Formats: sequence, structure tokens, C-alpha cells
Amino acid sequence: MNATTSKQENKQSLGAKIKREFNKNLLVYVVLIPVIIHFIIFQVYPFALSFYLTFHDWKIIGDPEFVGLKHWKTLLDDEIAWKAIWNTVKFSIYYIVPTMALGLVLALIISSGVKFSGFFKGLFFLPVVTSFVIIAGIWGWLFRGTDDGFINYLIGFAGIDPQLFLSSSSQALIVLAGLSIFKVAGTTMIYYYAGLQSIDRHLYEAARIDGANSWKTFWKVTFPMLKPIHFYVAITTTIGSFQIFDSAFLLTNGGPNYATTTIVYYLYHQGFTSLNLSYAAVLSYVLFFIILIISLIQRKYIGKDPNHY
Amino acid sequence: MKKIISYTALAILAIIFILPFVVMVFGSLKEVKQAQIDPLFWLPTDPSIQNYVTIFTNGIFIRWIWNSIVITIIPVITQMLFAALLGYIFAKKQFWGKETIFWIFMAVIMIPQQLFIIPKYIMFADFGWINTYWALIVPELWAIMGVFLVRQFLQGIPKDLEEAAYIDGANDWQIFFKIIFPLSFPVIATVGTFAFISNWNDLFQPLIYLTNEKMFPVTVGLASMLGKEGNFGVEMAGATISFIPTFLIFIFFQRYFTEGITMSGIK
Repeated sequence: MNATTSKQENKQSLGAKIKREFNKNLLVYVVLIPVIIHFIIFQVYPFALSFYLTFHDWKIIGDPEFVGLKHWKTLLDDEIAWKAIWNTVKFSIYYIVPTMALGLVLALIISSGVKFSGFFKGLFFLPVVTSFVIIAGIWGWLFRGTDDGFINYLIGFAGIDPQLFLSSSSQALIVLAGLSIFKVAGTTMIYYYAGLQSIDRHLYEAARIDGANSWKTFWKVTFPMLKPIHFYVAITTTIGSFQIFDSAFLLTNGGPNYATTTIVYYLYHQGFTSLNLSYAAVLSYVLFFIILIISLIQRKYIGKDPNHY
Repeated sequence: MKKIISYTALAILAIIFILPFVVMVFGSLKEVKQAQIDPLFWLPTDPSIQNYVTIFTNGIFIRWIWNSIVITIIPVITQMLFAALLGYIFAKKQFWGKETIFWIFMAVIMIPQQLFIIPKYIMFADFGWINTYWALIVPELWAIMGVFLVRQFLQGIPKDLEEAAYIDGANDWQIFFKIIFPLSFPVIATVGTFAFISNWNDLFQPLIYLTNEKMFPVTVGLASMLGKEGNFGVEMAGATISFIPTFLIFIFFQRYFTEGITMSGIK
């Protein structure tokens, strides 16, 4: 079959060959060319433009003016920018480990053979598909800093005084972290659930024969066997935590006293409230470099397996 | 013993996870006064749909829902189609620069989207796209994540099917529409579900590219309601309505969706 085809090909002229080749891959060109053009317009060009912008003053109207490193120097002396970076790091500390732990607990429960596990899996996943606006609206109401706020009412039973929550500069970021943990733990659960399914049953049998109790089995078998999942989830959760914006925008507007001004919130504020587009572009590059470093660590430890995304 | 711990933990977590949704639905059925007096928010003593009537008769809410539908449905359809086509091309076709192009695409999803916000705002201001659907639809016409999922799926499918079709004289388009598309539909449905949820719930981009209240999707609309000293019951009625589409999609495609998350993560 192949031999016949190549003989036929040899008889064709060069032009016919090119035409044949083109027709053979017509589908590829028809689809790929517009996609590449789209990619250049909406991804490559903005990426370059953003970089260009960090060295220019640009108010949309009028021509951009070259200012060199001015905006980068502003960053160095900008206390709020550093505070925003620090807030984002603090947010990560409040957020990463609890999200992983909660996701793992949820996965362990639904894979432990409880009844209606499919229903509960769905329930725990529900916040993931729900808009941040809805969840923030409800959380804002639950965590009202007034005496009759839902959570204040509840903790009143335990004899705890009403708290300010979102209006307290020491508590607001923690409440926002709690909201985010609730919002994304379902995703973490799914990864851990998949990880738990792939652990070889024989390991559990061996542990049982050796007389290990369930606590010991968990720490000696389950937890170490989930190592690739721990790493993957840690990286994605960290990257996610540096991009936090919605809850700070919806509930605290970065306050009180900049306590919930995260990098992306500050970027938004500089760009679209203060209209310092160039400086906002600098801040977006700060975010980019932080996430790049996290990704490079990921590559170093997880390796270059292209399936790890 | 192990069972008791499991069920107790399950019960506590289930209550915590369901509580916000109960608050939302109950809140939407309550009168303003009752919502303020009763912090624990148990069953509405006198449920009424007045809040729903209020939100639908204030005019702009229906427009917000419509805007959300427009900026969601079009990208969902095109992202499914492009995921299928590009996934097929990258999995099964041979052409110059294939691997390079694919990995450049993949590298870009590692860049935080916030980096594109400022330059895109400037571009869209130039195009006259601020306060139009274009700014939210055109950039979302295809997404690399879906392409990646379909490609992964098709790489696991033996070539025999296609080859048999080629021998029978089918061309690429016929093979794509008659074999590849139906075959990979579960993955394509996942892509559509992902696209629906993320576009319907997106807050950041519409917040930046839209300033005219009439153009707001329901997310930004609701956020603007939350910002004002509003009526909690009406806000929750709005939240409930905007939640229904994602909830239905989630119920119907839950299996695909969770599988898709696993597939897009660790193999």
C-alpha cells in the first residue's frame, strides 16, 4: 500500500506535490492561522506593550513619554506597595496549609466509604463553581462586625466578645483567607481524591498485616504516597494566593488601613482608581516575577514532565 | 470508631458548606425587617417572593442577566469548537513547528492574567471596545487549557479509527466531524463547563472594561448592589438567580467537571 502511494507521488510534478501537501493539511492551516493571529494580538502584543509601558508615562490620550526607570524607582520607595506584597505573603501563610489540609480531610472522608459520598463530594465542590460575588456577599453578612452579626451571635454563646472582623486591621485578612479556603478547598479535594484512588491497595493490606492502626497507616502509607499531589497542590495554591483580588475588592476595598491591600488589589487601585497605568504595569510585572519564581521552583522539583500542569 | 469519626466530621463540614447557600436562599425569602432582627436566620416565618418581584421589576437586573448570557454563551461555544479542532490538530496532525507552537501556547497560561489587564485596557480603549461586549468576548474565543485537555485525550486514542476512515475516502473535515468530535465529546463538554463557570463568574475583567451600568454582567451588577447600603433580601434574591445557571450546569456535568480537573492536573 505504502509502496504504491510513493510511486504515484514520484510521478507527480513538484507543484502538484506542494498543492497536495497543502490540501492534506488544509484543516491545520485554516484553523491555526487565525488562532496564531489572535494569540499575537491578545497575548504576545499585550505582554510586550506592558513591558514598554513600565518605562513610559502614558495617559491613553497623547503620546507615551519615555521616563526610563522612574516607575521602577517609585516602587522601591512606595511603602504601600511593599505592604501589599507583605499582605499577600501573609495571606498565603493563612491560606495555603489550611486549604491543603481541608482538601485532604474532605477527600479522606468521601473516599472512606461513607454513604452518599457522591452527594457530599458535590456539596464540598459547590463553592468552587459559585461566583465570588455571591460567597463574599454572604460572608460579609455572616461576619458583620456588629453585635447582631451571625458569627458574633454564635461566639457569644461561648462567652467571646463581639469582634470587628472585616473592620479590624488585624482580623480582616484572616476572614478573607477563610472565605478563600472555603471557596477553593473543593478543588484541592478533587486532586487528593484522585491521588487516594491511585494508591495501591496492597500497601494497606501489608500495613494491616503488620498491625498498624489507621492513624499509623495514614502517616506511614497514605500521606507519603500522596507526595506528588502535595507538591502540585502546594504550587497551584501558592500561585492562586498571589493573585487574590475578588474578596478584598468586594468586602474591604483594601482596608482597613491597607490591611487587605494585596498585590492585585493595589494594581487595580493604581491602574483604575488613580489612573497610573504605567505604575500598575510595573506592579503587574512584580506579580509576574513572583509567580515565575514559584513556577521555576516547581520545574526544579517536579521536573520537566509536560503533563504536570 | 473510625466510622463515627468520619460521620461526625462529615456532618460538621457538610453544615459549614451548606450554610452559606441556606442563608442565601432563606435570606431571599425574608422581609428586610426579619433579616435584621434575626441573626441566626432560620426558616423564614413568613416566606415571600417579594424580593424576587422587586429585583425583576427594577429593570436593570434582567439586562445584567442578559449581558452575562451573551458574554458567556458565545465563548463557551467557540472554546468547545476550538478545543476540539486544535486538540485534534496538535494530537494527530504533523506540520512544521507543531511542538514549538504548542509549548509557546502552554507557556503563556503560566503568565498571570493580571499582567495583560493594563495593556488590554489601552488596546480596547483604542479599538473603542470599552463598554462593549467585544472586550469580553473576542479575547475569550479560544483557550489553551481546553486544547490541552482534548489533545491529552486524543493522544490516548489509537490511530486505527482515522486510518480506516481515510481508506474509505473520508477527508479531514469528515473525519473531524464524524469521528473525532463525537469521540471526544466528554472532554469537549468538560471544556464547555469550565468555560461557562469561569466566564459567568468572572468579576475582574468586566469590572475593568465596563463602566456603563447597562453593560454589566450579573457579577459586577451584584457587586455594585453589595457596595451600596442595600436590602439584604433583594441582594440574596439576585444572588440566588445568578447562582441557578452555574448550579444547573454543575449538576448536569459534575462528573465531567471533576474528571476534567483531575485530567488538567496530575496524570
